[in-house]
Amino acid sequence: MTGKDKKIVYVDKGGKRLDGRKVNELRPIKIEAGVVPRADGSAYLEWGQNKVIAAVYGPKECLPKHKANPYKAVINYTYRMAAFSVPDRKNPRPGRREMEISKVSGEALQQAVMVENFPNAMINVDVEIFDSNAGTRVAALTAASVAMADAGIPMRDIVSGVSVGKAGGNIIVDLTKEEEDAEDAVDVPLAFLPNTGELVLLQLDGLLTEKELKDAIKLGEEAAKKVQGLQAAALKKKYSEALKVKEAVK
Amino acid sequence: MPGRIVVPGELITEERKLRGSHTHIQGGKIYSDCLGLSREGNDKVSVIPLQGKYMPYMNDVIIGVIVDERMAVYIVDINSYYNAVIPKRLLRDPLRVGSTICAKIISVNEVNEADLTGIREFFGGEIFLVSPVKVPRIIGRNNSMLEVLRKGTGSTIMVGRNGRVWAKDGNIELLVEALDKIQRESHTEHLTSRMEEFFGGKLKGGARKDMLKPELKKGSEAKK
Repeated sequence: MTGKDKKIVYVDKGGKRLDGRKVNELRPIKIEAGVVPRADGSAYLEWGQNKVIAAVYGPKECLPKHKANPYKAVINYTYRMAAFSVPDRKNPRPGRREMEISKVSGEALQQAVMVENFPNAMINVDVEIFDSNAGTRVAALTAASVAMADAGIPMRDIVSGVSVGKAGGNIIVDLTKEEEDAEDAVDVPLAFLPNTGELVLLQLDGLLTEKELKDAIKLGEEAAKKVQGLQAAALKKKYSEALKVKEAVK
Repeated sequence: MPGRIVVPGELITEERKLRGSHTHIQGGKIYSDCLGLSREGNDKVSVIPLQGKYMPYMNDVIIGVIVDERMAVYIVDINSYYNAVIPKRLLRDPLRVGSTICAKIISVNEVNEADLTGIREFFGGEIFLVSPVKVPRIIGRNNSMLEVLRKGTGSTIMVGRNGRVWAKDGNIELLVEALDKIQRESHTEHLTSRMEEFFGGKLKGGARKDMLKPELKKGSEAKK
């Protein structure tokens, strides 16, 4: 419960966290679909302080050609952080961390997208982080999957990401930077296909007992379902407005 | 008619029904796999997508643009995820890069490459892009909507299943307006009769009738 020098209580007796949330509560999320007119599909997402734009291009001819797969489409996922997205300037050159996140997120997305419908094709997903405060990779994946649906690409399910973790001995959902900096902090980014409960992304460095990890995943799955609701609402909103106009004409 | 808006992975029905387009089954239940309007009948469910590009299918008539020329083939942009190729030996007269053609798809292989036949080049006219998912409404049942468009504008019109519309002569501006209207209201019922009204209002001046080409007149009389 306590640090060595400073005593930070991450979850108080009332079950409230530093920013007043409950242990299983998400930060406020705002999603908008179709914000980049020149892309085939796009989405803007605000997840607490995180601000993300995702754009999907394709499926199109796979270039370079040697990367093409005659059985399925290749997903080219690019996660990038803007130089101004962190307190100190971030070197805009893609680093080890960004390449890793791009790889695992692309693979997570591939589980949902019906890639086998598009042999020899390539789908480019570009995600840019404009502002960050912990949990950007799940925010990026959440936005990317909305953009993917907005592009009209067939998917089995929407990918919903959420990060869970431990701070001050408590298992909590959707950690902020403050909580991630706790002494015993463990951050576990998760992504689910909410319908089947399939886990498509799990990264973990740090120490968690088996029980803690299971609890964390369970909390994460519940939270992911909430995220999915918001993603679906954002997609429907884009079209329900257009359809209303049409009905008025009728 | 059209049901609610569904997103990928949204449950459409738990009953056993025939699967139409853009649906998939998980655990005996039918889910949508794209963003679209669900359509549920007594024994069949399908989803009509609101977004998406054209996918080549057999027997579709499409309008293509030549984008490249190789030793023995032309590469055709068919407004799809994939390009098509035309072997030069199929053609009597050469094409050029930029030529627009009308063709029928005879077969599509497992990597979605389309073989084209009945290639004809367009001379003159204009090409408009429409959403490929709305092309069935532009053609209508038994070409009913297309007839209305032809009569209303007096143009020669060719609709490609891939979302390209070629038109020549007649009132092109009116046609653009009409295509926009059809796309905007594509999910509503009785669209053909409303389009007739739309043209009826515009035709009050009586200026359009003389624009009908003789062969078109013949065709429309034969239809009657």
